[in-house]
Amino acid sequence: MQVTLDLTVNGEDYRVTVPAKALLVEVIREIICLTGTKRGCDEGVCGSCTVLLDGKAVCSCSVLAVRAQGKQITTIEGLAKDGKLHPLQEAFINFGAIQCGYCTPGMILASKALLDDNASPSERQVREGIMGNLCRCTGYVKIVEAILACSQGKVAPDA
Amino acid sequence: MPELSMVGRSVVRLDSRDKVTGGAKFVTDLSLPRLLCGKILRSPYPHARLLKIDVTRALSVPGVRAILTAEDTPKNIIGHIVVDEVLIAFEKVRYVGQEVAALAAESEEAAEEALGLIEVEYEELPPVFDPEVALGPDAPLIHDGGNLAYHFEYQRGDIEQGFRESDHIFESRYTTQSNHQGYIEPRGCLALADPTGKVTIWAGVQSIFRTRSRVAKFLDLAETKVRVIQPYTGGGFGGKTAPNEPAVAALLALKTGRPVRLVNTQEEEFKATRPRVPAIIYQKLGVKKDGTLLARQVRVIADCGALSGNVPHIAETMAQRPDNLYHFAHLKGEGFVVYTNNTPGGACRGFGNPQGHFPLESELDEIARTLKLDPVELRMKNAVNVNEVTLHGWKIGSCGLKDCLKLAGEKTGWRDKRANKKPGQGIGLAVGIHVSGNRRGENFAGSAAFVKVDPSGNVALITGESDTGQGAWTALAQIVAEELGIEMNSITVAPADTDIAPFCLGAYASRVAVIGGQAVRVAALDARQQLFAQAAQVLEANPEDLEASKGRIYVRGAPDRGLTFVEACRRAVYRQGGGPILGRGTYDPPTVQADKSLYGNFCQSYPFCAQVVEVEVDQGTGQVRLVNIFAADDVGKVINPILEEGQVHGCLSQAVGFSLMEEIARDNGNVIN
Repeated sequence: MQVTLDLTVNGEDYRVTVPAKALLVEVIREIICLTGTKRGCDEGVCGSCTVLLDGKAVCSCSVLAVRAQGKQITTIEGLAKDGKLHPLQEAFINFGAIQCGYCTPGMILASKALLDDNASPSERQVREGIMGNLCRCTGYVKIVEAILACSQGKVAPDA
Repeated sequence: MPELSMVGRSVVRLDSRDKVTGGAKFVTDLSLPRLLCGKILRSPYPHARLLKIDVTRALSVPGVRAILTAEDTPKNIIGHIVVDEVLIAFEKVRYVGQEVAALAAESEEAAEEALGLIEVEYEELPPVFDPEVALGPDAPLIHDGGNLAYHFEYQRGDIEQGFRESDHIFESRYTTQSNHQGYIEPRGCLALADPTGKVTIWAGVQSIFRTRSRVAKFLDLAETKVRVIQPYTGGGFGGKTAPNEPAVAALLALKTGRPVRLVNTQEEEFKATRPRVPAIIYQKLGVKKDGTLLARQVRVIADCGALSGNVPHIAETMAQRPDNLYHFAHLKGEGFVVYTNNTPGGACRGFGNPQGHFPLESELDEIARTLKLDPVELRMKNAVNVNEVTLHGWKIGSCGLKDCLKLAGEKTGWRDKRANKKPGQGIGLAVGIHVSGNRRGENFAGSAAFVKVDPSGNVALITGESDTGQGAWTALAQIVAEELGIEMNSITVAPADTDIAPFCLGAYASRVAVIGGQAVRVAALDARQQLFAQAAQVLEANPEDLEASKGRIYVRGAPDRGLTFVEACRRAVYRQGGGPILGRGTYDPPTVQADKSLYGNFCQSYPFCAQVVEVEVDQGTGQVRLVNIFAADDVGKVINPILEEGQVHGCLSQAVGFSLMEEIARDNGNVIN
């Protein structure tokens, strides 16, 4: 069964006709062609497909696209505004919180949801906040540093 | 040595903006018109005879464009060291997850439906999963030649004499489990065949040239008919050196004339790629009562699963590499690489090194306890030194092993913490030695690079070495920036492409920065020499008197007598007889291939480390809580500190996983966790 959905992605409206069982990640990647949202485990464990639904971090591999109708969907492509990076993006770059980059979009969006919810989290809260996002390269050290620094208004390590 | 301006700085990664904005294209993000979805049918049995495959029903699924079985595939048997691998199973399957058929369809849905309709008749055969049982006389045969895939041995000195002269003998059996590399991006590829039969494959791999060679061998293609291009790659850790899926996708693309994308599911990742090789290691150590290590004998039994892959070299690493940490006088090593019906194993962060170090470093603690010596002092007393040649012929040049040990002892409060620890608290230490590239297989251990300079001042670094996330390309570009005296934003690293890049081996054995870096430096210096020749004419100076720095080329000592880097680039082209500059660099380290007994200096420089780990153990449940890790690493000259720290952090977290959390559990050859 096909359904027609009106989706708002990064502030832009899209009308798409997709199978009713289409997953949000499929629509974002294959219909709207925003490939910054990654597919990792496809079962809601790794977090690489994280997007924001009305500001809340969800695994888009585990959400039906129909559930996103009427909600604000934010993907990694929607974070930078007018060519200016979001502070979290700056911090991830400057703190060396990126290696292979596959988890990075999801990790940054999960961090954004965390900081939007709690502007000055403790290290423990940061670690809990990104628990649903796996990174195999960094050991999380620099990711946690970047998020904490960002919460303190810093986007680069002290010189 | 002149002061360095670019090398040694924590410059940000060249790919970082791409990666934080979602602009970085990994293989699953690539598409082409008329793209088909490829899928592989895998064996559900660990050991079975293949009686019949019927694809009739599967072919009738709308949208299915091709189905391959062994009958449509060259039945080539290939191998990295031992020849035992086929692309699509024929006659027998030897592990759960082995490729039995493959297909391409218009949609993932159609592909999955058709996969379920391929009818395969199997006759189950008795399997064997324990490598020691597999070596027994009554074990089921997995390959016709027997279950011993590979055997090696070496002896230095006289091991029996060593044990006779020892005051204490320590003997134990150690085992390590299999875990997965765990890269977050599943293995995947996209293949496209052109009308001449040449196939182009985009694949997230660690070695484009080894992948090319593997595809060519499996499919009876000339290597000139295979092109491999590496897009952004989401981690490898040994698991993406040269996978099989590109050959399957290539064959589907050739059969259909359509582009085919093939991406592993997570389930396939765990049951059908090449996770860490589990090991059984018997170790016997002979020690004098003052703590002098005299003799070490090891017998390694490596379960390679159903295919040997590069496990022979992994098993050699397990046995031999830790020997080089200390001044043993007598060594004996023996290894058995054994076929079982488990998932084939492979390289996984550290090759065989974590498995190999575990027995020696654990037993040293037993020795320290028995002899009432401090574990740091015991290691200090026996540690290898600068400019020594070990019993295996390894030329240890620079050596920070003792420095690492000293730091580990001093910075962690080791003595106090050990003296004052309460029940349930633990503090332990271990050291390690690794390689930075090594000369194995075909007699080439080198690297090559081109540095192309065009009149805009844009500098392209062309390398066949892979960046799988570790940041190698940024580090290599820093070397170019250093030698040409330019900023990082003038440098582009071209995608690794077998049709364009010079031949390189790829990202394994921790070789890219050290060996690739040397080749890049030679190429950059070659380009600089050509630029200096141009600048010298303008400046009426000798090329030897010129210097490049901060985007300018000028006479040494007279910075005003100069021109900009871009002016020199323009001048190289825009003149009678001009042309673009192409710097060319090759570098082959001064190493040798080890002989049959594994003797010889096969690596140019050896890194060392020492780590102290503090834990708390719940004495009721045995659960371990990690309190702190201290790591001291002798990694040589650091090109980019923030990247280097990232490597150490990543290593440590994978080490914690391997030690405390990760194991691939199997039942009857099936992954069950």
